[in-house]
Amino acid sequence: MRQALILAALALVPGLGQAVYFRDRVSWRSPIPASEMITVTQARAWGGNAIWVDARPDEEFARDHVPGALSLNEDRWNELLPQFLAAWSPEKKIVIYCSSQSCNASREVAHRLRNEAQLPNVFVLKGGWEEWLRNR
Amino acid sequence: MRTHIFAFTLSVVICVTAHAELKWEQTAVELHPAPTDKEAVGHFKYQNTGSKPVRFKSVHTSCGCTAAQSQKEEVPPGEKGEITATFKIGDRTGTQVKTVTVQTDDPANVTTVLTLKAVIPQELEINPTFVFWGKGEAPNPKTIVVLAGKDFSVKQLKVASSSPDFQTKVEQTGKDQFKIDVQPRETDKIIAATLTIQPEDSSKIFYATARITNAPAIQ
Repeated sequence: MRQALILAALALVPGLGQAVYFRDRVSWRSPIPASEMITVTQARAWGGNAIWVDARPDEEFARDHVPGALSLNEDRWNELLPQFLAAWSPEKKIVIYCSSQSCNASREVAHRLRNEAQLPNVFVLKGGWEEWLRNR
Repeated sequence: MRTHIFAFTLSVVICVTAHAELKWEQTAVELHPAPTDKEAVGHFKYQNTGSKPVRFKSVHTSCGCTAAQSQKEEVPPGEKGEITATFKIGDRTGTQVKTVTVQTDDPANVTTVLTLKAVIPQELEINPTFVFWGKGEAPNPKTIVVLAGKDFSVKQLKVASSSPDFQTKVEQTGKDQFKIDVQPRETDKIIAATLTIQPEDSSKIFYATARITNAPAIQ
């Protein structure tokens, strides 16, 4: 038992070292609190009060997207943002999606809309585009 | 006591012999592109230090904005190579962390995550980038605060509105600090303007939007 504990403690040392050394290099922390995530069912219930925003690259948006969604990605942020703002109004909720759970684009777009444009009611779609397809 | 030493030595030996054959020079790269750069390219160099060939099974990136390419599909023993990750900067700002997941047939090191960190210099911080008025709201000016980013200095700011329906007034409030007062002529119709903001001596243009919305303002 003691032997096992000693070995486990020894194994922990390089693990801790790596965690400290790479603390800023791998993003395992979710920048979006759970309260700002939304499911497909919840977002659909908002009906016309929601603006759907597609944060994926242009090619993916051109291939297919949520009907009525507006394209807003960081590749062409300066060009697309005014088009989005023209459709926005204060009472509307914003639902942003990208291509999968691992993709960070919707979080980045949400962050910029909240912090730079200071818009309220900005939500990220749980499961993104794939989840919307499953519920289509 | 001898048993303990033997057990410890054995665990160390097992760890050493299980060392990956594909040895990476570095698995994390930090890039500092210039303000005008369109993309940032990271090079992840490796060498097959093992005795048998290593085959790449897949190379995936965490974001559509990053493309990764391996020079070869199979790396013979002793050979060197690299995976290039090209990050498209677009209109992104701040620190961007993207990953490239590499899978090989090396049983000791099936998956390796390569990290590309790009620190994009931010010449100006504009807050907020959007000002709006509700239809019928009093056409009072609203303020946009502009600060020079870290390591930048701005002596003068040029601001232009795309529409004569919105007037702008720039005032320096401190060193590298400005405020832009934006005022609509009227708020009884839905109109918008793009404001271009440009530091003197810089080719880079920044944007903000002013708009009259069709609903009562909430700010």
